[in-house]
Order: sequence, then C-alpha cells, then structure tokens
Amino acid sequence: MSFRILIVDDEPALQSMVREILTQAGYETLSALSCAQALEQFRAAPPDAVLLDVMLPDGDGFSLFGKLRENRDMPVLFLSARDEDADRLQGLGLGADDYITKPFLPQELLLRLRAVLRRVYREEGSASKLGDAEIDWGKGTVRRDGREAALTAKEYALLRKLWDARGNIVTIDALCAALWDGPLVGYENTLMVHIRRLREKIEAEPSHPSYLLTVRGLGYRLNVEGGT
Amino acid sequence: MKLKSLLKGVLLVAVSSLLIVAVSFLGLFAFVYYNSSGGRDWGTSVSEISRALVRNGTAYTFTGEELLEEGQWLMLLDADGHISWSLYKPGDLPEQYGIADVASFSRWYLGDYPVKCWVRDDGLLVLGSPKGSVWKHDIAMNTRYLLQAPIWFLAFFLLALGCVLLLAYFAVGRWFRQAQHIRDSARSEWINGVSHDIRTPLSMVMGYAAQLEEAPGLNPKYKSQAAAIRVQSQVIRELVNDLNLTMRLDCQMQALRKETLRPEVFLRRAAADFLNGGMAEGFDFNMDLPEDPLPPVEADPFLLRRAVNNLLINAVKHNCPGGYIRLGAGVEDEMLVFWVEGGTAAEAARVPGPEILEPDGGAAHGTGLKLVAQIAAAHGGRAGFYCGTPWRCQLILPLKVAPGKSQRHGN
Repeated sequence: MSFRILIVDDEPALQSMVREILTQAGYETLSALSCAQALEQFRAAPPDAVLLDVMLPDGDGFSLFGKLRENRDMPVLFLSARDEDADRLQGLGLGADDYITKPFLPQELLLRLRAVLRRVYREEGSASKLGDAEIDWGKGTVRRDGREAALTAKEYALLRKLWDARGNIVTIDALCAALWDGPLVGYENTLMVHIRRLREKIEAEPSHPSYLLTVRGLGYRLNVEGGT
Repeated sequence: MKLKSLLKGVLLVAVSSLLIVAVSFLGLFAFVYYNSSGGRDWGTSVSEISRALVRNGTAYTFTGEELLEEGQWLMLLDADGHISWSLYKPGDLPEQYGIADVASFSRWYLGDYPVKCWVRDDGLLVLGSPKGSVWKHDIAMNTRYLLQAPIWFLAFFLLALGCVLLLAYFAVGRWFRQAQHIRDSARSEWINGVSHDIRTPLSMVMGYAAQLEEAPGLNPKYKSQAAAIRVQSQVIRELVNDLNLTMRLDCQMQALRKETLRPEVFLRRAAADFLNGGMAEGFDFNMDLPEDPLPPVEADPFLLRRAVNNLLINAVKHNCPGGYIRLGAGVEDEMLVFWVEGGTAAEAARVPGPEILEPDGGAAHGTGLKLVAQIAAAHGGRAGFYCGTPWRCQLILPLKVAPGKSQRHGN
C-alpha cells in the first residue's frame, strides 16, 4: 500500500529534499508552503499522514494541527527547528504522533514515519516473511517447513512488538510493558520463557538463533535479514 | 562589562551617601538658624511696639497700631501685677497676675495665647497673639553636652552611611540581577535564534550527504566523502544541541521536569537508543548493572538521557577507531552513580593510572562534558571525568530514598 504524505514546510529547498526522500521510499507526496495551501491540499486529496513544520508564514503548525484534526483523524508528525521542551511537549500534548527536530537524517525520518504509519494503519490480515518462516498476523500463526504453529497471545504481542521495531533493539522493559500491565519488576525470567518458545516457532535452530537475537543486558532485536 | 557595572554601583553608593550626609547637615544648620535670635522673631519686634507706647502723666498714648497684626493685643503690667494699660485684651484673661503667672507665660503661654514680653521702666509690656498662631519651644542645653556635638555628628554620619550602604546593597543587588537577566535573555535568544536558523540548512546537508552515501553507482571515494560530510554534520548537530541546552542551564532558563526513574530501565532505554542510532559501530558494548535492584532516582529523563548520551558519544570519540564501551550504574556513598568506561583494544593492556580532568570537563573537551556537569549540578549532583585507562566518566546523583544497603557496581 502506498501512503500519501502531505509535507507542510515554508522552506522550498527542504521540502524538495523531504519529497525526494519520501518518493524514493515509495510514498506519494503532496506539498504546501503555508497553512492556507495545506488546508487546500488537505481538502483536495486527504493525505494518510502529515509532516508539519511549526513556524509557517501565515500561522503556526500547532493551530493548523487542530484544524486538520477537526476534519480527519490521521497521523501527524511535527518536523521543526524548534527544539525546546515546551514546543515538543506542546506538540505531543496536542496529540501529535511524533515530534522530529531538525536537523534529521533521511533514515531517521523514514523510520519514524514508518513506525507511526505501521501503528496507525496496522494491516491485521497481512502476512510477513521472516527468513523461511511466514507470519500470518490475521490468523496468529507461523508457518515454517510446511508446518503451522499457532502463537499464544503473549507470543503474538511479543513478535508484534519486535516486528514493529525490526532491526532495532527493544529493551526487556519495553517488551515486558507490551506483555503485562503494572509494575514490571520480576518479569524478566517469564519473558525469557516466552522468547524461547517463540524461537522454537520461528527459528530453524532455536539454540543458535538467526532472527530473534539477544542483546546482552539490554533486550532483544529482530534481525529480519537473518544471521548473527 | 562586569567591572563597568561594579564601578557604576560603587559610584551610586558614594553619591547617595554624600547626598544623605549633605542633606543631614543642611537640615541641621537650618534648625540651628531657626532657633537663633533671628529665627525666634516671629512677627513684629516687641521693642518697637514698646517705643510706640508713651506715658503722658497718668495716661498712655499708643501710636503703633499699624505695627500690630490681626488678632494681636497688648497689656502693660505694673510692679504689682495689675494691668495699668491694655489694648484689645481678650475678656477671658484676668486683670491681675502673680510672679508665678509671669514666670510661666514669659516662657510658655498665657491662657493658651502665645505672648512676648518687654521690660520697661513702668512695668512689663505683654504682646499677645491669637491662640494656636505660634508654636513655642524653649531650647536649653548643658554646655558639657554641646562639647560632645562632633561625636554626635560623626555618629549620625556613620548611621546615614550605614543606611545608604544597606539600601544600596539591596538596590544595587537587584539592579545587578535585572541587568544579568536582561543580558542572559539576550544571549540565550541570540543563540536560540542562531541554532534555529542553522537547523534547516543542516538538515539539507545531512539529508543530501546521506542520500549520496547510498547512491548506487557513485564512486566509492565520493561515497566516503559524502559519509564524512554526514558524520561531521551530525557532530555539528550535537554541538548546536549542546550549546543551546548549556546556555539555558547556565542562565537557569531550563525547567526541570523531574520524574521518579528506575535506573536500570532508564539506562537500558538510553543504551538501546544509542545503539539503534548506529553511533557505536566498531565498539563492543556491555551493560554492567548490579544484580540487586537499584533505588529509584528523581530526575528529568530528557536531561539525564542527554547527559548519558553525551558520555557515550565521548567514549566513542576518545576511543576511535574502536574498542569497548561499558555503561553501568551503582550506589556509592548513598549516591547513585551512572558511569561510562571506554578504551581501545591497545589501551586495555596498559597499566591503569587515571588522570583526573577538570570538574567541568575542561574547555578542551567542548560543550559535551560541560553539559554533563551542568545537568548533574541541576539535579543536585556532580560529574567526574577521568582520562586514562580505562577512560571513565561518571554522573553522580542524590538518591530519592536512602538505600537499605550499600551496593557497589561490579567493576
């Protein structure tokens, strides 16, 4: 699925670069240099997500955010040169999905945008490939070597959390928080049990994992490319 | 700039003291003059009036009515205290006066009328004025006390000077603080503005450099140059971020948003973010946390994350091109210690001999470590930097609750 992203920034050169980054990554883009243009674009072709600068020539991004959200509840990421806590807290406090401070790396922008889109437009029915294992998110199963194994609720939540952050380390605290409510002290051993069972379903050699890797002292990382 | 302000303050105090003392002395001289013979003469001279009253046999002729002011009256008392002549005398006054009466009104009032007296051959002339028109106060001073006047003057001078200094201390202090605040705000706004303006062009430098780095078919030499531009841009980004925050902390313009943090959870998250950012390529990273849970700490997670991140970045910088980095925490002397150690593979073989760096990280170490020291200080803690084998930096924070038992980090 190709997402349509509206980029609102008053700096044409930066906007052109962001448009290029997103287009290369397979996104469809719309651009606006002001609040008025943004509202016009928004009405003409509603985007799936908005990258929004805070300082605009005819208003501020925070006010525009409110107007956009009045019309449609789509993800909004602030992309601003204002790095003060107050601005970041105001943006996130309004309900924005992320607040990215300039300058940023293209990869950083893409990862954060992808994470937000994944969270908001979760494709429950789709399937994902992890090496020679195929994960069916709709059915909650893993198929490998012609055999299908059902995931328990905890294993599903664990795999989902790791998949959403694939390639990155997810701390044991974040995994525990995704699996259990309340205080997280003392869940580490139980987490290890769930990890071991999950490995048995997705790995060819669970004792020498290639995909679900342990990062000692920190957490786990889902290595979608395989290999240690 | 500070010296100029100080000189201004000193000048202000000196001028104020001089003014106070000058006004005090002028007041004193005015008072003395008022109590002199010239000052006492309120209205027409009684001697002049006396000259206008002439005795012709048994009768008196008065030719000085124009000398009297409105409401004034006259009476002449003989040697027995009887009134031998009067003009406009109020009806509520008696016709005869004893020695005690004369002694009293010659100094104070006669039936609340202020009076002045003049001794004549034929008696005592009394000039009266309306009630409440004159305030009389008799001054008499022992000459012995008059000799002490210089000491009193000196004491008053010192008192005035003390008052001026006290007032000046508060006034100048406030003035200094206001001036400092204005300067800090201007400095902070300027740096904020510059850092804001540099962010957008830096985004483009970083963005295009990263794209060139990944461009298929580009000469490897140019790719590595693009990578160098990207890495150095990231260094500038960190510098801009540090400069902005260090200024806000310096000017006490950064609000602390403290939360109760579990040190292990906080450190694992900080380490994961650091490693996910790809900053530690070529380094062997290890976490070193004690087995027993660490006590919680009250801290601003954003600032603390920044401090730990800066320590990790410094560990990478100091131990390039690669080696090891250890991040850990422990309790020492009822304080929570976050520490980062690093070293290259070659250094690991050297004999340990830590050299203590300046507490602020030293100017040579840029804003990164200075910021760590500022963040520690803002939380009531301190930072320590040791250059040697291993290279070690630590951030020491007060604990929210004193630990039940002392724990040492396993290092």
